[in-house]
Amino acid sequence: MSGEEEENAAELKIGEEFLKAKCLMNCEVARILDHKYDQLQQTSDDPTNQISQVFEKSMQYVKRFSRYKNPDAVRQVREVLSRYKLAEFELCVLGNLCPETVEEAIAIVPSIKSKGRMLEDDAIEKMLHDLSLIKKFE
Amino acid sequence: MVFLEVEMAWNVVILPEQLDANGLLLHKAIILRLMDDIANRKASKEHGYYVAVTTLNSIGEGKVRELSGDVLFPVTFSCITQKPAKGEILVGTVDKILKQGIFLKSGPISSIFLSEKMMRDYKYVGGENPMFLNDKHAKLEKDTMVRFKVLGLKWLESDREFQILATLAGDFLGSL
Repeated sequence: MSGEEEENAAELKIGEEFLKAKCLMNCEVARILDHKYDQLQQTSDDPTNQISQVFEKSMQYVKRFSRYKNPDAVRQVREVLSRYKLAEFELCVLGNLCPETVEEAIAIVPSIKSKGRMLEDDAIEKMLHDLSLIKKFE
Repeated sequence: MVFLEVEMAWNVVILPEQLDANGLLLHKAIILRLMDDIANRKASKEHGYYVAVTTLNSIGEGKVRELSGDVLFPVTFSCITQKPAKGEILVGTVDKILKQGIFLKSGPISSIFLSEKMMRDYKYVGGENPMFLNDKHAKLEKDTMVRFKVLGLKWLESDREFQILATLAGDFLGSL
């Protein structure tokens, strides 16, 4: 991103990599790392050596903070959130933090209420309701 | 915490004795070396933390390095990365409590400081098990989960990691 404009995730002023690359939620990362971990155990002669600290800390973190564990639920969360014309980054923050009220959703992702966005409170309410249903039936 | 899956390029160096006529073994050697390199690199200012290599996408033509006989293969691969952003809301756990504030950790980020000045109504309570308490009896002690906002961040080249300043100023922030 250009050096002049200061980064601010609250206004969705974030590095280009966040807009170009695929963003992943904690629960999605947990599944990928789990799989990767099993793979390492099988292919490597010395698995403990191949697991970096960053890997280990991230894995502990995403396991602890994943709101959804079941693979189908993880897929549904992305599907539900993608109906609301969110940026990838916003989608992941909402999926990770699972706000319970409209006010909370706006507090953690202020950019969803910024100028020019069509998201009304009703739409946000519906989105949170859909998310809570996934959690309930997981 | 938002993770990214990014495609990037790297040069993998393979020793002459690892060059096997069996393509599969060479492939394996390249993957293992790449994972090793990325694990050692840990993080960078532009990509953030390197969490895991997910796929090896292409292996280019190897070039022999004249003096050593090593072969250098340009590769492209996908990697899961984690880069903190200013203004982002993160969740972490309390690591250490000092009078001046709290150290938090969150995923790969191990150096997050939440100054006592940034904690709004939380007050320090000393003793054997020091903690911060607010009027509503919300507690911040070791291993408490905290939702905070990234106030600022700095890349430390010597430690190859980010240092983050956190704040609780904002709605819906604090202990969970």
